[in-house]
Amino acid sequence: MKLGYYTTGAALSILFLFPLLWGGYESFRGQPGSGQESGFGFGNYTRMADYGEGIATYLINTAAVSAMTVVGTLLVSALGGYAFARFRFPGKEALFLATLAILMVPYATILIPLYVVLGHLGLQNSLVGLSLVMIMFQLPFAIFMMRNSFEAVPRELEEAALVDGCTTFSALRRILLRAVRPGLITVGLFAFLASWNDFFAPLILLSDGDKFTLPVAVVAMRERSFGAIDYGALEAGVMVMALPCVILFLVLQRHYVRGFTAGALRG
Amino acid sequence: MSLGGGVSTAQARLERRPARLSLARRESLKGLGYSAPTAVIVGVFFLLPLVLVVWMSMNRWRILGSPTFNFPDNYTKIPDNQLFLDSVTFTLKYTAITTVLLSGIALALALSVQNQRPGVGLFRTAYFLPGAVGFAAASLLFYGFYSQTGPLDSILMDLGIADEPINWLGTPNAALFSTIGMVIWRFAGFNMLILLTGLQAIPTEVYEAARSDGASRWQTFRYITLPLLRSTIALMLVISITGSLLAFDQFFILTRGGPDGTTVSMVMVIFREGFTRFDLGSAAALSVLLLVVLVVLNVIQLRVLGRER
Amino acid sequence: MRTARLIGTLAACAALAVAAGCGGDDEPEGGGGAASGGADTGETITMWTRAATQTQSERLVKAYNASHKNQVELTVIPTDNYQARVAAAAGGKNLPDVFASDVIYAPNYTSQGLYLDITDRIDALEFADSLAPAHMRLGTYEDAKYTVPHTLDLSVLFYNKDLYKKAGLDPETPPTTLNEFAEHARTIREKVGGKTYGTFFGGNCPGCFVFTFWPSVWAAGGDIMNEDGTESTIDDPNMAATFQLYNDLVKDDVVFPGYKTEAGPTWTGFFGKGNIGVMPMPSTTLGLMPKDMDIGVAPIPGPDGGESTFVGGDVVGISSTTEKADAAWDFVSWTLSEEAQVEILAKNKDVVGRTDLADNKYSAEDERVVTINELVEKGETPYSLNFGATYNDPTGPWLKVARDAVFGDDVQGALSSGKESITASLAQQ
Repeated sequence: MKLGYYTTGAALSILFLFPLLWGGYESFRGQPGSGQESGFGFGNYTRMADYGEGIATYLINTAAVSAMTVVGTLLVSALGGYAFARFRFPGKEALFLATLAILMVPYATILIPLYVVLGHLGLQNSLVGLSLVMIMFQLPFAIFMMRNSFEAVPRELEEAALVDGCTTFSALRRILLRAVRPGLITVGLFAFLASWNDFFAPLILLSDGDKFTLPVAVVAMRERSFGAIDYGALEAGVMVMALPCVILFLVLQRHYVRGFTAGALRG
Repeated sequence: MSLGGGVSTAQARLERRPARLSLARRESLKGLGYSAPTAVIVGVFFLLPLVLVVWMSMNRWRILGSPTFNFPDNYTKIPDNQLFLDSVTFTLKYTAITTVLLSGIALALALSVQNQRPGVGLFRTAYFLPGAVGFAAASLLFYGFYSQTGPLDSILMDLGIADEPINWLGTPNAALFSTIGMVIWRFAGFNMLILLTGLQAIPTEVYEAARSDGASRWQTFRYITLPLLRSTIALMLVISITGSLLAFDQFFILTRGGPDGTTVSMVMVIFREGFTRFDLGSAAALSVLLLVVLVVLNVIQLRVLGRER
Repeated sequence: MRTARLIGTLAACAALAVAAGCGGDDEPEGGGGAASGGADTGETITMWTRAATQTQSERLVKAYNASHKNQVELTVIPTDNYQARVAAAAGGKNLPDVFASDVIYAPNYTSQGLYLDITDRIDALEFADSLAPAHMRLGTYEDAKYTVPHTLDLSVLFYNKDLYKKAGLDPETPPTTLNEFAEHARTIREKVGGKTYGTFFGGNCPGCFVFTFWPSVWAAGGDIMNEDGTESTIDDPNMAATFQLYNDLVKDDVVFPGYKTEAGPTWTGFFGKGNIGVMPMPSTTLGLMPKDMDIGVAPIPGPDGGESTFVGGDVVGISSTTEKADAAWDFVSWTLSEEAQVEILAKNKDVVGRTDLADNKYSAEDERVVTINELVEKGETPYSLNFGATYNDPTGPWLKVARDAVFGDDVQGALSSGKESITASLAQQ
């Protein structure tokens, strides 16, 4: 039984990992026209490091946008999710539906009008403007998830805190946030992944090459040969971009273990 | 100082009545306050541009130069757009198959890795890893993967399973299922994570009680786990179904709508209207239509799945 | 890098102040170029280019910046999303000062007023008549000129001389007719065989068909569309002959596998591996081939002779909303100067945009480059406002027509019904 579990798990793991392992292998292999002409080596990676404004610029831009997006999303969705879960207020249903509706408009359609609106706000071609837009795109998932998380917390918890003299806000801060931690972790992780990997929003909303994020630079790099794709660049790009995401997930692993919540409630 | 539990309910009601109205108002104000940041962001960065989209859909809007009002032309020519009509049936078919497969697999994976066990962290990471790759990059990766000079065919031939390179994208069904294969690879981990988050909220006591009552694994799953997972499943389905209906990258890159136009999704048509034909008004009209349909669909979906209390 | 740019900007500002204070001549000083109306006044010019042509654009910009007071800031935009990006910028009234575009979309941009009318400026150039005619035609709208050639990418036959020798063919005698091309491909498949094939093409790639098959029609004097791109003449007998020829090659297993699903991303990646005898490819792939492969190039012929090519690549123009037209023109016209064309483009084996420079000191080093350069004059670029939606888009009518013709059993029938579906798309408003 246990053997069956581990064999299936291992087989599935290999299935899921295989395309990435292949991509990684190929990123070192030489192909004419790519950074690595032949044989094996780091050619594709060194070409990536020197590309355009230099990989450091793109990394910093992407990190800045991701950081702002994650923090912003957590803030807005924690407050908002709490509102939807615990309070009655006018316009509640409408606001929830409007937030969900963000998912229902094709990305390409909404980005040009967004570009125009950002222009009027003085936020075009800025990383801050880009982050605000990305926060917006995260809200449907984030608010829904936080609403669910708050709803799952028994009311006794905050009622006990309120009786003890806490205001709503400090009850929220001290008790509830800890209780919905798994939700917050997931929201933060997804916000990071989306903002780290997103390509279309930075492409449309930024105009200066030196403000571009890593995904845009990587795409520009792999499309350099008149229609054909530089596969070496593609694979190296995939590896480099996936690395922080992998590390982050490994670090957050323990938060997905069962029993974490139960402990917090009992204590 | 009120003592809460010790006082009789009637007396409590009497004592609290004058305060109740303002309590509701206070709650309402608090709710508005906490939801204000959301409202601002949704209002400024979504609703405002959306109004512009609706306005665009009522005009002949080319890239530069002044738009000319032409309502309802952009809408009335939609039924004549055969490409779009065909894409509707295709997208619906794709959504149905993908939703069933993706949800089932994600649920199975989530259940299998929710408990702490040696090595389970590795499995979880392996299943989730594809989600760390950008979607366009993943599509291109799979394009190379599925090609007849790619590794998939070489391995299958080396193992003796296939005699000659399989044409993964060569027939309508093969193209559809190869694409679905990639999408499942990419998103199973995501959905698994969403479900894991929901599974964690179920207190262990509930399971213990069920076990001591003699419930079987299946019974526990069907009557305890699933109902308690309802709102999480609702979230996952809303995201997943909406995402499938708006599918674009996977078809644009992997199959290019082929072979012979058999895998064209609705958003591909919108993209073509907007950026290949440069008719932004027409693209906007199609998007508005899609939005209305999706809103209705999701409202129904949410009502049906209900909310857990 | 930032410090350098800061100093550069300060220097530019200083220069501008001096120039302004000097009471100004009417004739601008213009840095060492033949530009009339151009002004090297220390402006910062923003420029966009497609990722596909970034290498060439970057070289030109770098050289210009090093020798001029004006400084060009180049931004590279991913190829597949270039139209979307330009559309957004146009909508937000935020276009850069200078931008390149795929020559095929020049008609759309010019007809919608994105580019500045530079007819007079172009006509004042002494070499105005030698600018690549195909590109100039696409950049002209209602008799006004808006763009000039920027980078050129031509379709030519690449052939593997080693395989030719192995198959007993003379490596110095490439095909001069399309029929010969088919013969050579068959011979290589027969005589060498195994994992080696005669030819290859992108059978699911609409743009590849256009790029590689149409020149054979032009070489024979025919055409696939009318002048203004509103009616299709795809049933031209030369087009039918070309498709029939490839159709037979497919049926006789002469084509390298994968052709049926090749949608474009990898279509030029196989020749360099040494298993393909002869196939039409972009001239820009010459520089990406393995150095140890003995490769020859030849013009694409018609069924019975002639020579032609599809003149692709990018044109460049000044945006209609710019406030720095003179400075922008200083840069744009400089890119057409002999210095830029020869020392920057030709030196790096790129095709020059001026027919009078086809035979320059660098191209003479590699006769293949001369062959390619000389084709610029003979080649064509098709004009149509609905080109993208009809021919490039995989969901447009062209791909289906091409695939029916090359994989089906009735070439003439496919092209006849194709004529209707394509015309309907070309004429769409």
